Amino acid sequence: MEVVFRRPAAAISRPKGLKPAASVLVTVSTSSPLSQSQLQLQLQPQQRRPFTFSSLTRPPPNYPGHVPLSFIEKAALAIGSGLMSLRDPRRGDLIAAFAEATATPYFIYRLRDAMLSHPTGRRILRDRPRITSTSLNLPHLRSLPPNTVGRTYVEWLDREHVSPDTRAPVRYIDDEECAYVMQRYRECHDFYHALVGLPTVREGEVALKAFEFCNTLLPMTGLSVFAAGTLKPRERKRFWEVYLPWAVRNGLRAKEIINVYWEEELERDVNDLRAELGIEMPPDMRELRRREREERRRRKAEEEEARRMAAMEAAKAAQGQRQ
Amino acid sequence: MDKLLRRRGTYVCRSCIQSFQRQPRRGYATAAPSQPDIFDVVCVGGGPAGLSANPVTAHLRMALVEAQDLSKLRAWKLPPDRYSNRCSSLTPASASFLDRIGAWKHIDRDRVQPYHEMQVWDGVSGARIEFDSPPTNGGTIAYMIENLNLISGLLKRLDELGGVAMYDSSRVEHITYGEETEEVDLRQWPVVHLSSGAQLAARLLVGADGANSPVRTFAGIQARGWDYDRHGVVATLQLSESTPNTFKTAYQRFLPTGPVALLPLPGPYASLVWSTTPQNAAHLKSLSSEDFVAMVNAAFRLSPVDLAYLHTIPSNHVDELTWRSQHTPFPSPPTIPYPVTAVQPQTVASFPLRLRHADSYTAHRIALLGDAAHTVHPLAGQGLNQGQGDVQALAGTVAEAVQHGMDLGVIGALQDYNGKRFMGRDGGLWSR
Repeated sequence: MEVVFRRPAAAISRPKGLKPAASVLVTVSTSSPLSQSQLQLQLQPQQRRPFTFSSLTRPPPNYPGHVPLSFIEKAALAIGSGLMSLRDPRRGDLIAAFAEATATPYFIYRLRDAMLSHPTGRRILRDRPRITSTSLNLPHLRSLPPNTVGRTYVEWLDREHVSPDTRAPVRYIDDEECAYVMQRYRECHDFYHALVGLPTVREGEVALKAFEFCNTLLPMTGLSVFAAGTLKPRERKRFWEVYLPWAVRNGLRAKEIINVYWEEELERDVNDLRAELGIEMPPDMRELRRREREERRRRKAEEEEARRMAAMEAAKAAQGQRQ
Repeated sequence: MDKLLRRRGTYVCRSCIQSFQRQPRRGYATAAPSQPDIFDVVCVGGGPAGLSANPVTAHLRMALVEAQDLSKLRAWKLPPDRYSNRCSSLTPASASFLDRIGAWKHIDRDRVQPYHEMQVWDGVSGARIEFDSPPTNGGTIAYMIENLNLISGLLKRLDELGGVAMYDSSRVEHITYGEETEEVDLRQWPVVHLSSGAQLAARLLVGADGANSPVRTFAGIQARGWDYDRHGVVATLQLSESTPNTFKTAYQRFLPTGPVALLPLPGPYASLVWSTTPQNAAHLKSLSSEDFVAMVNAAFRLSPVDLAYLHTIPSNHVDELTWRSQHTPFPSPPTIPYPVTAVQPQTVASFPLRLRHADSYTAHRIALLGDAAHTVHPLAGQGLNQGQGDVQALAGTVAEAVQHGMDLGVIGALQDYNGKRFMGRDGGLWSR
């Protein structure tokens, strides 16, 4: 008897280079009694994609905007974008590319499975809502009562002088559903800022990334924590002592924030949502920074004053000596 | 006088004792015990193993004890579009044994489905093993047969042979050792007491009475093993397409909760055996038939994450399956089973799965067969076949014993059976 072993090319959780199954039609005739109910599942034959390819044999895209990358191309993108975004963390496009290049294998699938395990996450994956500057009615959000999610969000936008601009579309993730998961994560990033109240300065972004890593496990978020090395010494100290412990404790403890259907939560009390997710607010970073800045200014002024007094004393003494 | 004669160290032959004891006997109408009916072989249990055991030893005085009504089993008949949910996979070796004992021709062959290929794959990684048609035996790997079809065929053969005392619709009340009377000394013979009041003394008591064997308990043989904390959910299903009867495929997918198998029956029908947790089994049994069908289709196609979620919702499985099928890559039939379209009503059932192995298959005047000796997980389809192998071996042993004039119940005569059947299995069982 011949026994054949097959490599897992048709892997379900690792569809590297595989096109998702073609459409399936299910029709249920509800008129007939149990014994006659027919369920017809018609499946079209699955197109097998090459497991590996070179730049010359690039397969067609899985969704609009998709750029299939070979392993070497993806590795090069990951290394390049990682290093350059560390050098200049304001390059959002590099950070986005870095996220996509490092999301496979495993991490983005884990996040997608986390959404599939939760009823709200499943609804999000079915509905595929997009957060853009046009999809959110900002004036309406400003009119909501204080302490609602929507009002907190729009207040945060105004405070930070940012807008829910259209985030860069996902290009380098092969599975179409996982591409949406990454897109959703990217678009919800501002909501996470509003949820925990961290500002968009480098220090705040690094703290939020640490929190996101502990909750979503995306490698880019974890590796972004190394950007703490580019912070000022004071900021680094604060990060190490206050915000990193907060991020780890809350990120691990909280429920999956990817499963929050933000469009439905806008009119809800934000503290209610925080309590449900299990998130405690960190110390207000802007407040801390402001206080520290004032403290420094005050001390500098005192030193200046003391030096001036000492100089005057010295001048007087010199004058007295001459006379 | 009696006491004098029976004193230890003084040997007096039986006939002398009897002559000394010739006294008028007072008959106690209520107290005198009835003489048990003495048989060479009493087989307790009328399942496939027990029934196979009987035709082979047809020249001995045999009795068969079965709790169910055998006339109902004899008259068992289902229409061609309905199949019982308890099916077994018969290996060619078992099939040829049944042929040799003359039972194969009595089995309804139209309801037996040989299959020629097996597709076995993992639910998490997708890694696959394909078993192609073997070069011998017409390319058949094994035969799918309903248990009731097999039992009715064996009963027909037994009726054809005759000579077996059938005690059906009789439960075994208890088993004891016999007593000594003037005629016979049955103190070392097991006596089966039936609910009807009959008592059967056995030179060899064959326990083919299933996993909770009373014969095994009586023999004091321990059965060691563990419960798998899994239930096997069975059902008879109808597929969307009827593959030709000359080439059928059996499927098995290993999910994290246990394997799900779809075994082909004639026409567009198939038998499901899904080993899963008791909670999932209860959930499956509570679903409507459309949802159950969708779950079975999902079990062979969707990811374990989706399946775990589907096990938590009470309805709407069809919708979920449609949606998830669009986003989960899976091969097309016949690499995986054709979609299931319907489930035969009242065939969804479940039974607990466990592993048990008796410490020994034999004791003095006792032999264990089939599930009484070894209970295994159904995932490899070997339980019934091992029972048939036991029967073959025991029949051979008994025939040897009879030919050599041995008392076929003594442990020396039965040792051969234990040796042949016990050691080979012991090594394989504990590796699970």
